[in-house]
Amino acid sequence: MARKKKQDNWVELESQPVPGGSHLLEVDDLKMYFHTQDGVVKAVDGVSYTLDRGETLGVVGESGSGKSVTSLTIMGLIDMPPGRIEGGDVRYRGKSLLKMSEAEMQHIRGNDIAMIFQDPMTSLNPVYTIGRQLSEGMRLHLGYSKDQAMKRSIELLSMVGIPNAEQRVKDYPHEFSGGMRQRVMIAMALACDPDILIADEPTTALDVTIQAQIIELMQQMQEKNGNAIIMITHDLGVVADVADKIMVMYAGSPVEFGTAEEIFYGSMHPYTWGLIRSIPKQIEDKKQPLTPIKGNPPSLVNAPKGCPFSPRCPYAKDICHQKKPEPFYTSTGHYTKCHFANDPEFVKANAPETSRSAAARASKGGEA
Amino acid sequence: MADEKNSEPLLRVEHLTKEFPVESGVFGRRAGAKRVHAVEDISFDIYPGETFGLVGESGCGKSTTGRTIMRLNNPTSGRVIFDGKDVAKMKKRELKEMRRNMQYIFQDPYASLNPRMTIGEIVSEPLVIHNVMPNAKERMDYVRSLLDIVGLNPEHINRYPHEFSGGQRQRVGIARAFALRPKLIICDEPVSALDVSIQAQVLNLLSDLQKQFGTAYLFIAHDLSVVQHISDRVAVMYLGHLMEYSDWKSLYDEPYHPYSQSLLSAVPIPDPDVQHSRKRIILKGDPPSPIDPPSGCPFHTRCPIAKDVCSKEVPKLREVASGHFCACHFAEPHPIKGSAVDLGTE
Repeated sequence: MARKKKQDNWVELESQPVPGGSHLLEVDDLKMYFHTQDGVVKAVDGVSYTLDRGETLGVVGESGSGKSVTSLTIMGLIDMPPGRIEGGDVRYRGKSLLKMSEAEMQHIRGNDIAMIFQDPMTSLNPVYTIGRQLSEGMRLHLGYSKDQAMKRSIELLSMVGIPNAEQRVKDYPHEFSGGMRQRVMIAMALACDPDILIADEPTTALDVTIQAQIIELMQQMQEKNGNAIIMITHDLGVVADVADKIMVMYAGSPVEFGTAEEIFYGSMHPYTWGLIRSIPKQIEDKKQPLTPIKGNPPSLVNAPKGCPFSPRCPYAKDICHQKKPEPFYTSTGHYTKCHFANDPEFVKANAPETSRSAAARASKGGEA
Repeated sequence: MADEKNSEPLLRVEHLTKEFPVESGVFGRRAGAKRVHAVEDISFDIYPGETFGLVGESGCGKSTTGRTIMRLNNPTSGRVIFDGKDVAKMKKRELKEMRRNMQYIFQDPYASLNPRMTIGEIVSEPLVIHNVMPNAKERMDYVRSLLDIVGLNPEHINRYPHEFSGGQRQRVGIARAFALRPKLIICDEPVSALDVSIQAQVLNLLSDLQKQFGTAYLFIAHDLSVVQHISDRVAVMYLGHLMEYSDWKSLYDEPYHPYSQSLLSAVPIPDPDVQHSRKRIILKGDPPSPIDPPSGCPFHTRCPIAKDVCSKEVPKLREVASGHFCACHFAEPHPIKGSAVDLGTE
């Protein structure tokens, strides 16, 4: 399965079966540090997950928790230096992405793994027409002629719900609204029918009504194409709707990982509880003050010695400040990095009400 | 805050309209009669000590409303009565006096603090401008106490904004707004630039300060769950028009306007079960341009229950239930019926 640089000898990874025992995408203890004047920034510090076709992974965390850097590392979009991979691996269909040459990565990017960025205002080139920007990937990866690519661009635009696509391909980005531009970004990402779509805060810059449209569109496209989605967001509400699995990140590493069900109804980490409690309730009869997480996220340069969340954790004990917690696994693969996660009494006493409902739900047969 | 309805309103907005001329061409000539209809004939009252939430999508004119009330813009027509005086007719000196009692918290905690001033200078600036505390020592002591109230370390009085995180900067902005103990603070998206965990801290701080000082808020935001949490009454804006307003509970329990209903249904709820089971209305398309607004009801182009009359007549804001106002020809609780699929999606 040698991948040579020459186009005609190229083995299409996308058409290869996933080797037995492995997953479509495997991120294995990935560590990406930035070496800066102020010291080493541990932006990604031991991230692991797996992803299969048709699945959606939600990555949740505050700004600076390393959720974007993780996906940029997978895409090979981090400048090195100052970045450096300090350990771990990323395997796509069994092949390590980190060992690939730049030429090979160029073939992967856009073709096999595509990305949608947060800001639709700045991620399109203002001096090229929408049609030309859409065509670029198809001409490069699929070898389409100019006309073929333009024809396909029109199809893609109408597929993502842009009316009057024949005319709109000739327009420039400034002639589109924010929601429309994000649709164009989605069309562009799906142009080469990628295996994995990484969406980095795709709806954060948009209004709720437009956000609902975009999320629905991404789900429809996933149903149709069967691609996997990595949805990066700080909004638990967005992932509640779409994610199969959720990874909660804090200070560069995952603190909890599980199915959406497990994270929302059986969460065992105080940080996840804090996130859930911080959100104003939609349905409430009386106003109650919110329960914020006190303090600020830690600096990634001088990370705390023990558990990264210990300075802000209301339940922190001595051990939390001294020792980094090891992940605690349940039988279903749900893991939590907290010293007390294996203590059901602790979880029962402190978790928000909704996070304790898993057992009750399971007995009702509500397991998803 | 229960008896506020009996007292005189602190702020009365009557038929406020704000239009901006559209400039085009190399020299910024004012092209023809083209105008941006940012705010169209809106009226509401704010009572002392209450929080009035103004919610809507970007471009609906909610910030323009706030800025016009403060007279950072001059209204095109209509009146803004603050404390019994018409803000639009005020002379410079009166305006300055008025702004002692009306302060502003801005959205972006990065852009709204001067990077070359220490936070002590920033927070004391209103006091200096209004010459409230001429004694510098007294003033700085007061600023320290303010920093303490908003949850910042008073020892950091000589630090610069870049040394603080987003949430802390927003606390500086809040301390500055409270320095003169104003009667009304216009909070323009004060938490939308912050992470959820920090957002909750700032919202709690705003509620605490309101309890302590009895300040009224005009709380402008696009996030319905935030507005619902902090507001006593909520108004929904669309394309410069007030579509609906009532106390927070009845708006969320029983929206009478199809736009409010669809806005509410679009808010993602962090609970997969609720999210999967509830009815969602996904509106088609984008809001129309305020340069060329649609005839009749501004929402009829996206409204799933629009009839002929909607494109012809502008619906009047009328009282549909006690204290609950709605501008829709077909106002009723939860006006959009049926399943989400055959309504909103294409």
